[in-house]
Amino acid sequence: MQELDIVKPASVAEAVSLHGGAVGARYLAGGTDLVPNMRRGLQKSRKLVDITGIEELRQIAFENGALRIGAGVTLEALCASDLVRRHAPLLALAASQVAGPTHRAAATLGGNLMQDTRCYFYNQSDFWRTANEYCMKAEGTICRVAPSSSRCWASYCGDVAPAMLVLGAEVDISGPTGNRREPLAALYADDGLQHLKLGPGDLLVSVEVPAQSGWTAGYEKVRVRGTIDFPLAGIAVAIKREGNRIADLRVACTGVNAYPGLVPNLEAWRGKEPDEAFFAALEKAVRKEIQPMESTLTAAGYRKRVALGLARKLVGELFESAGA
Amino acid sequence: MNTKPSKGVGQRMPLYDGVEKVTGRAKYTADLFPRDALVGRIYRSPLPHAELIEVDVSAARSLPGVVAVITGADCDIPYGILPIAQNEFPLARDRVRYFGEPVAAVAAVDEETAERALKLIRLHVRELPIIDSIAKARAPDAALLHDKKPGNIEREVHNEFGDTAAGFAAADLVREQTYHAAEVNHAQMEPHAAFAAWEPEREQLTLHTCSMVPYYVHKKVAQCLGIDTAQVRVIKPYVGGAFGARVETLNFEIIVSLLARAARGAVRMQLTREESMLTHRGRPESETRVKLGMTRDGRITACECEVVQRGGAYAGYGIITILYAGALLNGIYDVKNVKYDGYRVYTNTPPCGAMRGHGTVNTRVAFESLMTSMAAELDLDPIEVRRRNRIPGPSVTPNGLRVESYGLPQCLDKVEEASGWRQLRGKLPKWKGIGMACSHFVSGSAKPVHFTGEPHATIVLKLDFDGGISILSGAADVGQGSTTIVAQVVVEVLGVDWRRVRVITNDSAVTPKDNGSYSSRVTFMVGNATLDAAQKLKQVLVEAAARRLQVEPDQVECLGESFHVLGDPSRAVSFSDATAEALVDTGTLHVKGTFTCPIEFQGGKHRGGAVGSTMGFSYAAQVVEVSVDPVTCRVSVDKIWAALDCGFAINPLAVEGQIQGGVFMGMGQGLSEQTRYENGKMSAANFLDYGFPTMAETPPIEVFIVESIDPNGPFGAKEASEGPLAGFPAALADAVRDATGLEFHEWPLTPERIAKAMEAREREQRAAARKTVRQPATAGAA
Ligand SMILES: Cc1cc2nc3c(=O)[nH]c(=O)nc-3n(C[C@H](O)[C@H](O)[C@H](O)COP(=O)(O)OP(=O)(O)OC[C@H]3O[C@@H](n4cnc5c(N)ncnc54)[C@H](O)[C@@H]3O)c2cc1C
Ligand code: SF4
Repeated sequence: MQELDIVKPASVAEAVSLHGGAVGARYLAGGTDLVPNMRRGLQKSRKLVDITGIEELRQIAFENGALRIGAGVTLEALCASDLVRRHAPLLALAASQVAGPTHRAAATLGGNLMQDTRCYFYNQSDFWRTANEYCMKAEGTICRVAPSSSRCWASYCGDVAPAMLVLGAEVDISGPTGNRREPLAALYADDGLQHLKLGPGDLLVSVEVPAQSGWTAGYEKVRVRGTIDFPLAGIAVAIKREGNRIADLRVACTGVNAYPGLVPNLEAWRGKEPDEAFFAALEKAVRKEIQPMESTLTAAGYRKRVALGLARKLVGELFESAGA
Repeated sequence: MNTKPSKGVGQRMPLYDGVEKVTGRAKYTADLFPRDALVGRIYRSPLPHAELIEVDVSAARSLPGVVAVITGADCDIPYGILPIAQNEFPLARDRVRYFGEPVAAVAAVDEETAERALKLIRLHVRELPIIDSIAKARAPDAALLHDKKPGNIEREVHNEFGDTAAGFAAADLVREQTYHAAEVNHAQMEPHAAFAAWEPEREQLTLHTCSMVPYYVHKKVAQCLGIDTAQVRVIKPYVGGAFGARVETLNFEIIVSLLARAARGAVRMQLTREESMLTHRGRPESETRVKLGMTRDGRITACECEVVQRGGAYAGYGIITILYAGALLNGIYDVKNVKYDGYRVYTNTPPCGAMRGHGTVNTRVAFESLMTSMAAELDLDPIEVRRRNRIPGPSVTPNGLRVESYGLPQCLDKVEEASGWRQLRGKLPKWKGIGMACSHFVSGSAKPVHFTGEPHATIVLKLDFDGGISILSGAADVGQGSTTIVAQVVVEVLGVDWRRVRVITNDSAVTPKDNGSYSSRVTFMVGNATLDAAQKLKQVLVEAAARRLQVEPDQVECLGESFHVLGDPSRAVSFSDATAEALVDTGTLHVKGTFTCPIEFQGGKHRGGAVGSTMGFSYAAQVVEVSVDPVTCRVSVDKIWAALDCGFAINPLAVEGQIQGGVFMGMGQGLSEQTRYENGKMSAANFLDYGFPTMAETPPIEVFIVESIDPNGPFGAKEASEGPLAGFPAALADAVRDATGLEFHEWPLTPERIAKAMEAREREQRAAARKTVRQPATAGAA
């Protein structure tokens, strides 16, 4: 690993100014995504702005019907927070499935939302990548997953983002060019190389999530092992029910695209009964949204199958429990 | 000190070094690195197969801070664990045969310099075809990895015992099936590490390494450095797991020694996880075709088995592995007619080696799977079928192996009852199932790898003026508990207070040679040698006490901390006084105990007949309960019941740990573990992608110890660690079949594999439904 310049600011403003949008500078939170990548030579940062000392990033508050979670809150703290469990239990559920317990003790919400995209050809040692002549995402020119493609298909594999998306989260960002608020969904792009629409030096300060009340929600991920593994596919669902009809429905996916995304056009099913035609249409909508590629050791076909299966199962189960 | 004799064996006690290990106080090899030692790093081949035209290290050599650079030119002496198959050089010469094979090495003042030096090394090569599968290796026109090995066959084995043709003719049901098991790695917790110090003034080398076989390392390091074994000293600190990964001399141990001599100083070397996995020596991928004949009532009349193993680039233990795969078709059931054909092939993948259950696991998995499947076809209960094939009593197997104690039937009883098998088998709700299988393993290979004529195990007890008993043991404790066992045996025999005893292990300058921790030989052989030593020391002390008490030795009773005249407890001498008396005229006592397996236990007369030979087999039975998720197709193991006949549990707590560990490792192989290659390049060489199970997937494992009291084991003890592994993958597949109706012949049973099978079945069902719709009349008529 290269020599590093590490600074540890005490406030958001100081962090942003220390970073200053400089080339090769990066925010360091729990380091559970960044450090393994740096050790493999995937990110060649020279300067790290360690944001774990910033108190205001570690706050959780509930005001005006919305939950506000600082980007520096660890996933462990998020899972344990009474406010989160009361007002947005879905977030605790999703966060509890990230990596393993020791990771969650260090890993932060911000780092989770901002984690790099992943690919079998990319998340390898420098020795391996050198021997395999690299790929477009780092040091190389062609995509090993789809050699004729002009883009990178690495997938975004965070567990918390889809849960945030179905609850309609918004993010507060502070950067060298000022502060802004935008929907979380607007932060992501369909590009394995550049999946975040963040300006240089932009710092995620907090996430605001409307209270979950009225929604019945769930998150499930598929992985080979019961812990540690990233999602091969993950599905978050939030549903509202009126009588025998769907009042509202949101579905978001992770692990199956370069970004975590909401399945579009589900509004059409508001006010309808979840019959077999609905489930067939749901599967079709999810199939259209996702595009897993051969970027994991597990075949893409499997990831597609379980993403569809999980969406169907979760929506069905949650609709049932919403009625209960 | 205690007044009553202390108990040693049969005690549930924490491992002798357990507290150090769990509290982090234990120092492993890398913790002991001297700060001022140079950093050694290995330059590895980026290609799986190529002719080396030039290894250009000139730029690396002239980088400031680099003290030594070595290449294949620095050592032209091949090594290998088997004296008859030494075809590996510590650093490749002329040719590289697997991705990651060491080509050059540097010693530098720090990590960064060493790293930079590696980047300056240039290879000029001619690439050769990559032979990375069994099929490619065996293709008629395949490129050859080694000159004198036509067909890339390292070793073929063919033998037949009894008359299989007649056996099959006598069967009511004959079935044949091919099973495929993926290659797996030991994935031991501690990555490889070693440091070597060359003392230029004395021309001596001291090597610290994480080995299971310090004696073999000692020999091979001396051999490759071209120095006398007397110039070498090998020390093995605590080892963080091994499972066979370190059961032969590994390239890095020789490389670090060569570097130390070249640098005329001390060199430390810590391999990364990826490098540790590339060093490999794991269980080979294998194709196992089994054919069994069975009578209507479940008796096996004949067995035919063909095994092909993808051995990797060099010989290693390969010949033994392919022999083991056939030898242990025997020794668990009463089968009189057994034919075996084995092929070990060379491929451009890292060399395989000995891994827990050496050679026998995939054969057992295949055999057990077919046995259960045939039982189902005959409408027989699989546990009952095993009972019907039990070995009747002490006997010799068709291939000349001796079975003296046999607790398999009791193991079956235990797991059948505890699991509620009769109530659950075939009766669990959809997506839940229960399955079973058996397995066995040797308690030490009765014939050592290197035949020297020496005893098979030696232990020295040192007693001096202080009254402390030092057990000098060369047995390599790699977590399995050998240090604990020798201490328990000594305390049991002498009855002394525990505080009097110390175990000093694995320093070749101090401790007696031991062959090493392989083939589960240590408790049996070293245990027996310790028993011999302790009894001899006791005799010395009893005689000394008799002199003090002025009676005959047979009038003396030993109570551990004191010696009494029989029937007159008032006439006694203390342990210290007996020791003082024993030292008169002789001084420091060194009492030696040994053990040798008698020749009649050393296997059949046929070629390779020594492999599989042992004085006692452990036996295991296990039942596994699973759930299969219909959406994700993931198998969860809900509960395991495992019973093991280990002869006698010298330390029941340690035995339970070993059974759980063995079962767990079988679970890894069954569920999710496998090495992966991308064009011959190992590509899941890390703990995230390799996929061994975690605590989250580990269900409660209920363990039962069966004590058959082996006539030859120390206090009746046999092996307790390798035996319980092989049953798992077969029991798992059996349980998954019970849950889903799908039969699997390939491991691991990943969600993806199960999904594929489910999809195939769904397709078939859809096709059948279409057919029924289209041809209602025919379907109705049929
Ligand atoms: C073995 C292993 C298993 C894992 N399994 C999972 C899993 O199952 N699911 C999952 O979701 N993740 C998993 N992860 C990834 C990782 O642990 C999590 O995503 C974690 O939440 C990252 O948080 P962090 O604080 O450690 O981020 P860091 O590593 O510190 O940062 C990650 C990235 O985010 C940027 N960043 C961090 N905070 C901010 C901020 N406030 N503003 C702007 N940029 C920021 C950093 O610059 C960096 O680029 C796993 C990681 C490992 C090593
Ligand atoms: S998807 Fe293609 S470009 Fe992106 S990381 Fe994988 S191989 Fe590289």
